Amino acid sequence: MAANTDRRRINAPSGGTSAPVFAKPVKEYGYLQSLRPNRTRGPDELRKTFLQTGVVPSASGSAYLEVPTTTTSSQPSLIPPTSSLKIAASIQGPKPLPRSAPFSPTLVLTTTVKFAPFATRYRRGYIRDSAERDLGVHLETALRGVIIGERWPKSGVEVVITILEGDEDTWWGDSKAEGGAGSGWGLLNVLAGCITVASAAIMDAGIDCVDMVAGGVAAITGDGQKVLDPCPAEHQDIVAACAVGYLASRDEITELWLKGEVGADPDTLIEGATHAAMGSVSVLREVLLENIETKTKAAKEGSKRKLEDVEMTG
Amino acid sequence: MALPTLALPGTLLGPASKYAPGPGTHIHDASIYASIVGTVASSPSPNTTTTKLPLLSISRPGDAGPTDSANILPEVDSQVLARVTRLGARFASAEILVIAPANATSISADAAVCSTPFTAQIRREDIRATEKDKVTVQDSFRVGDLIRAVVISLGDQGGYYLSTAKNELGVVVARGEGGEVLVPVSWREVKDLRTGRGEARKVAKPF
Repeated sequence: MAANTDRRRINAPSGGTSAPVFAKPVKEYGYLQSLRPNRTRGPDELRKTFLQTGVVPSASGSAYLEVPTTTTSSQPSLIPPTSSLKIAASIQGPKPLPRSAPFSPTLVLTTTVKFAPFATRYRRGYIRDSAERDLGVHLETALRGVIIGERWPKSGVEVVITILEGDEDTWWGDSKAEGGAGSGWGLLNVLAGCITVASAAIMDAGIDCVDMVAGGVAAITGDGQKVLDPCPAEHQDIVAACAVGYLASRDEITELWLKGEVGADPDTLIEGATHAAMGSVSVLREVLLENIETKTKAAKEGSKRKLEDVEMTG
Repeated sequence: MALPTLALPGTLLGPASKYAPGPGTHIHDASIYASIVGTVASSPSPNTTTTKLPLLSISRPGDAGPTDSANILPEVDSQVLARVTRLGARFASAEILVIAPANATSISADAAVCSTPFTAQIRREDIRATEKDKVTVQDSFRVGDLIRAVVISLGDQGGYYLSTAKNELGVVVARGEGGEVLVPVSWREVKDLRTGRGEARKVAKPF
């Protein structure tokens, strides 16, 4: 029994809840290996990204990011070959600080990252664990570098991230230990996604920033090859990986997370991650431009309608 | 270089030698960059004595009307409308409800309504300009009064500091015990027209 069991809710089973596949025993070795996903895109090809802003009406800014799985399994199976990344972000504020908070001449940024209990193959608790707090700190450093905090004295802004589905650390067929501690490769992808989606939500909230920050991941595999946007389930042998928060038009890095045996030359890996971040920036740019165009159009139509109303009544 | 119509944070707008930075922009490396998502506007400088450069500003697409203002904060010297919430011996507490733009001289149609009220304090010595030692908070405000005031400091953790030490600042709407509107008769008294009963207030000079 986990120590942090929630007694106030009806809890789901603490183990995995994948649908059973009855046609064949999954654990049969040859069959299991035939289900293994393989990277079909090029080493510098990113997964497709879906991004939308303004998804939470009550928040001052919000965004939703989805990086769907790209591998299609040749064998029919109910278990998806790889996980996909689904993250929702909402911004509360800027709002006046609570009475108890000390005076701050700049904006006070709070980031909360939470995996949904169903976000990973093994259930997460309702209480934030250390990995989630860690992600929150990383995200905060990434965002603090872009926000112009001096424009918001005595105010606080809350960035709340909910991960609806997180990238897993290894392919599910390889994970032997039940719910065991993973290698953590998936967390880098999650962090990069969090940075991009939080950035989009901050733009949506209209908080002043020096640039658009976006996340990107690169990794080195066992044969020394550099791959951008690695999906850990598709690679059996990741040696090192790196996630960055990157400001494209300023060419600056606000957040850097390196993991594993980088070797003699970490710069190529970091550079690869910035290239992946450029891909996220282009998505971000498209989405925001499209957004502002529809918004200005709606505002124009709204004012036109108002004018017509005045003519008819007056 | 032509100005872009739409800007994203980090978009280069122009050199700082040719334009002045307005709301929604910032200066980096002697160039003006956008800092929010919105439409770019260039307007002639509002203050021609200090600079003749045109002012570059970015407006958020959402706030077409002046009433929408999720993103406005009280600044020093900005005029506000506030409601008195508590009276103390040394200061009165109030909540700021409406904020006029920083350069405006009075609260007009383009003032912004706060999405959340900001707590503020008016110290006894900031209530009026003359005879400060004779002022009492009780004879200047009542709870529920609407006052026009000016922000003099961002204050400490507690709240903004307001001042009504000018003729045109003070109580603008006062209500009696029964809820009836009291009418100002002098700069320090309001009266109930029906009963003729007077109450002491620091009254704002009407326009």
